[in-house]
Amino acid sequence: MHNDTAATPKYSRAISLLKEMRESLKEGIIPVGIFNDRELYEMEIEKIFTRKWIFVGHESEIPSPGDYVLRYIGEDPFIVNRDESGEIRVMLDACVHRGVRVCRAEKGNASHFRCPYHGFIYKNNGDLIGMPAQQHAYNGLNKKEWGLLEARCDTLHGLIFACLDNDTPPLEEYLADSKYYLDLLFGLQDEGLEVIGEPQRWIVKANWKVAAENFSGDAYHLIFLHHSAYEVGSTPFSMLGNMNGEQILAGNGHCVDISLDKTPQPVDMPYWNFPQEIVDTFRLDRLDPKGLEIVRDSKEMLGNIFPNSSFLLMTVTPEKDLPPVPFISMRQWRPKGPDEIEIWNWFLMFKNTPQSFKEASYRAGSTTFSLSGIFEMDDSMTWETITQTAGNRFARENLKLNFQMGMNGMGKAKRDEEWPLPGIAYYPRYGEGNQRYFYESYVQTMLGED
Amino acid sequence: MEKQQIIDACDPVNRRLLLEGEQFLIREAELLDRGQYGDWIGLLAADIRYQIPIRITRERHAASPFSDQAWHMNENMGSIAMRVERTFSDYNWAEDPPSRTRHFLTNFRLSEAVDRGGEQEIVVRSNLLLFRSRFDSPAYELVSGEREDTLRRTSDGWRLAKRIVWLDHTTMGISSLGIFL
Repeated sequence: MHNDTAATPKYSRAISLLKEMRESLKEGIIPVGIFNDRELYEMEIEKIFTRKWIFVGHESEIPSPGDYVLRYIGEDPFIVNRDESGEIRVMLDACVHRGVRVCRAEKGNASHFRCPYHGFIYKNNGDLIGMPAQQHAYNGLNKKEWGLLEARCDTLHGLIFACLDNDTPPLEEYLADSKYYLDLLFGLQDEGLEVIGEPQRWIVKANWKVAAENFSGDAYHLIFLHHSAYEVGSTPFSMLGNMNGEQILAGNGHCVDISLDKTPQPVDMPYWNFPQEIVDTFRLDRLDPKGLEIVRDSKEMLGNIFPNSSFLLMTVTPEKDLPPVPFISMRQWRPKGPDEIEIWNWFLMFKNTPQSFKEASYRAGSTTFSLSGIFEMDDSMTWETITQTAGNRFARENLKLNFQMGMNGMGKAKRDEEWPLPGIAYYPRYGEGNQRYFYESYVQTMLGED
Repeated sequence: MEKQQIIDACDPVNRRLLLEGEQFLIREAELLDRGQYGDWIGLLAADIRYQIPIRITRERHAASPFSDQAWHMNENMGSIAMRVERTFSDYNWAEDPPSRTRHFLTNFRLSEAVDRGGEQEIVVRSNLLLFRSRFDSPAYELVSGEREDTLRRTSDGWRLAKRIVWLDHTTMGISSLGIFL
């Protein structure tokens, strides 16, 4: 019997939406429907989240052999741990016998992972070492072939990335021009960074691309959406005065966004307002002149590693009458459906800093960029309504979103031909080129043209 | 980690203290639910500590499921004042119009009653269920946890000196926390 549905190519509707988007993007137009579409979402899980490098945590979260944390890549849970030999591993949290999850907590120390169903037992390097009544039940099983499924993993300055596809280039190559900027920030101190406490997790009913796009380079929204933060003195400078800066297309869909004046001039808070004794620990001697300028003169630095890993450095006031304090946040925008993300928010600080400074930095970050953050709560509210709009029948078929800032003479952003560092830079931050680049890379990846 | 102790409140002195604590917390919750944050701040001691530690799923033998370094909120008067000021900003997009909240407080128990240098302090523990509804959606959010509140008696009545909310959630099912638990 003929089966009509089988004859329809997989994701046919999503593919036609993507092809439409590929064309409209040339004019800076994006159909709102991409922000809440079940078929597109399923395609994203297959074409993006099982293929790209995803940030899952930091080495400092698992300092000792046996330490583990539970993390996610797309929809799947993974054990991120340090095995007995000290090697970092990323292993699917699922027993090979029936698929029961073998990791029982979000964090801990374990020499072995044991499946509660039939008792299959794995070493913390993923090797299957046995099961109850083995001679009667599974004699002859080649246990070497039945370990926990393992993902590729690699680190950069202790940041752990994982990838589910063996054909994806190695992490360093994948990061392309974004690596320079990650090196700049995360390599400032020889001792490196550490995660303060545990990451925050919370649910926002928004599509993951909205969040990734925002961190890719939406400087423009700071002026209006986050005006209350300036009003109450949380941010020391007006957002309108913070629009000078470079927006950088950093390869493979990665984006970097740095506030920085074109010509060096004295700033109120050099070195992001790190205390001098901490600045003294920075390896400024390793920086090239422009890199030094970024560290000394920029007010904030953020970006998105395609697809859904973001970073942010900002200097904010955690409470009235306190001087501004810098904080560093890493993000994973974990997709949980076309209209839902789980936000993972890590605060990191340079290891060689006083405990009191780490605490002050954490407070600066959590007051502004967290579940209770006075910046973040306004973001999540708008992200949710974009996603609602995208799910509604009339809007999804008729509403085309304008991403044209910086195109055709609109918006002040121009290509910065003199930018001496990696990537293609635009100046000032009145542009939406980073976002367009994110979506171009998105379409290419989805259509297999990356 | 949470305090475990419960003081026998059948004793008339303790009974009176618990009742005073209960009445204070019920009044305080009313101000929060009505959005009267100006009056609410008046009920806080100048050295207020307001903390919501992050909870993590841990195995039973682990020392504590609560982080001692990571918080959803870790506030003092300065940061609370900043948040309250923001609440009344014309640019408070997250909470204007305000979400509708209802604090349900139950299972009050007296955990400590001490004299600290002439100042009487009591620790009252209670169960909190917070209902929140937003915009025109019939959907609602719930936050559940245990409150551990330190109240201090002053010449103007009781003041909240410290609040720790021990959440029942690890991953928070709410999109923002622009309110006080």
